Amino acid sequence: MNIVVLVKSAVDEAELKADQSGHPVLKGAATKMSAFDMNGVEEAVKLKEKNGGTVIVLTLGGPEAKKAIKEAMAMGGTKAVHVLAEAADAPDSLGTAYCLAQAIKRIGAVDLVVSSEGASDTYQGEVGAMVAEFLDLPFIAYAKKVETDGVKVRCEQGLRGTVRVLEARLPAVVSVVSEANVPRYPTLLQVMVAGKKAIEDVPIASLKGPDYPDTGTVVVDVSVQSASRKRVIFDGTPEEAARKLAGALKQEGVL
Amino acid sequence: MTGAVLSYSESPDLAGEVAAAGQEVAKMLGAEAVSLELDEVSPGLLTANKVVLVKGELPLEAIADSAAAGILELVKARGFGALLIAETRFGTIVAAKVAARLRVGSLGKGKKLRVDEGRLVIERDVYGGRFTATVASRLPCVAVVQAGAYEAADASPGPAESVAVTVGEPKVAITQTKQGQQGEAGIKSALKIVSAGRGFARKEDLVIAQDLASALGASLGCSRPLSSDLGWMGEEAHIGLTGAYVHPQLYVAIGISGQLQHVAGIKDSKVIVAINKDAHAPIFQVADYGIVGDLYEVVPALTKALKQG
Ligand SMILES: Cc1cc2nc3c(=O)[nH]c(=O)nc-3n(C[C@H](O)[C@H](O)[C@H](O)COP(=O)(O)OP(=O)(O)OC[C@H]3O[C@@H](n4cnc5c(N)ncnc54)[C@H](O)[C@@H]3O)c2cc1C
Repeated sequence: MNIVVLVKSAVDEAELKADQSGHPVLKGAATKMSAFDMNGVEEAVKLKEKNGGTVIVLTLGGPEAKKAIKEAMAMGGTKAVHVLAEAADAPDSLGTAYCLAQAIKRIGAVDLVVSSEGASDTYQGEVGAMVAEFLDLPFIAYAKKVETDGVKVRCEQGLRGTVRVLEARLPAVVSVVSEANVPRYPTLLQVMVAGKKAIEDVPIASLKGPDYPDTGTVVVDVSVQSASRKRVIFDGTPEEAARKLAGALKQEGVL
Repeated sequence: MTGAVLSYSESPDLAGEVAAAGQEVAKMLGAEAVSLELDEVSPGLLTANKVVLVKGELPLEAIADSAAAGILELVKARGFGALLIAETRFGTIVAAKVAARLRVGSLGKGKKLRVDEGRLVIERDVYGGRFTATVASRLPCVAVVQAGAYEAADASPGPAESVAVTVGEPKVAITQTKQGQQGEAGIKSALKIVSAGRGFARKEDLVIAQDLASALGASLGCSRPLSSDLGWMGEEAHIGLTGAYVHPQLYVAIGISGQLQHVAGIKDSKVIVAINKDAHAPIFQVADYGIVGDLYEVVPALTKALKQG
């Protein structure tokens, strides 16, 4: 069974600094595999271990994305395809999905594409669904359990207060939520071996056909948010503090 | 003239809000605002917009595939200027599918929609909600509207125009439906929220939070680990970047550390209260009022103090 797992390299949001004008300092910022993609990789590797086959890590990003790719390879990826796009050429979500779908078509016989519920930097959760549309494949979103017999994929999905079991014929695209699994920690040996596995670089331009969707969607600005809160701490015994808090809430008119 | 601005939500709680967003955008574009409804008109739809009811040979809202297909059939026949969908997991999938099928821009999930030089502009959270990205797209395009960003009107909709579409079998089949953990209905529009985090040692202890919620007349929410990892509460109850964006008058965070991703969902609260035993928990940095202490002592004391008035 050939499984493609979509992995995004994301800026570590906790480490990201803003410059004096409030814009993020992205140059040289620390990056890592997007948090939920670890669940995607874990699911893909688990399915491979059960059913045999390969896990192909597919990433679109700049040169810095090699780090995330290696993290995914250390978790059990068989090989990797890196669609190279410098920041200036970074496409919007639809363009990203188009390029990933083109790359998957080139890989050839793919049975299952696994993505995660969303990236830790942008959290839009669109790309998996869009890849499925470009490939004209069934899409099961927000899966918390994934099973396959090589013919069909069966997933549990929690949505709107119900848990449903959804089923689709392979090939298919599935996005998993974080509760699907607990990502493994690779051993030092796995990390070292992964560092030597081949990564195929594919320039983004080579994937763009005449049907590339140019939607004119652009990020106009990114600025830091600021919030000012009162930050009053009430002390004393729990009863005293609670009484003071109740008084403050009454005064605020929020009771 | 620009095509109609369509608004849609499968959630009765959000249908009115997204209709209001559609009306605002339509006004800016000088276009018609149309509320799209699938299968049946939602009881929550309060709007002065024109209502178009789309019906398929199968229930369209049974699955995102069919909902997207129903919307696609309608827009292919009539065109559109923009499609606004209220933010839920279901809505997110429908928006992505429609954008991909039509090959139009997808602005993602955000608020403060505006029109600039003929483009639709949205503001959305990025980098864990620490930054705001302003994103613009040519028309027509698709956008997902954050809960609480618009206020539902209080009008009763006029008669709906009914449109029949044929969508075909979805590629995904539902083989089983079980009752899951119910999330708190309507948490996205709740005026008061008591929210529980991993500071609670056992599921049974949530009764302490529930008692406070009852005393306040508040809804009960939680941090992501409580719904996702522990399964103590329904998925819809989790608040933050990946869950509900809430905007209550009062938000009480109990045993929640206040990581970026949780805080992203509560920024629009009027008053934020934090109860945590760790004085250095980041939640205190974004709270108006705080008590440093053991929730097992502080929360019952607060419930009692509130009951005494
Ligand atoms: C991409 C991404 C998206 C995410 N999205 C979300 C999201 O939407 N929403 C969300 O909530 N999280 C989200 N998370 C997870 C988030 O980063 C945090 O892990 C999570 O919010 C922590 O939940 P918590 O505060 O309940 O638990 P913890 O961080 O474990 O905090 C527990 C707190 O309880 C306090 N405590 C313990 N015992 C007591 C006691 N007896 N009395 C008082 N206080 C006590 C502790 O001091 C601590 O501060 C996301 C993570 C990622 C990577």
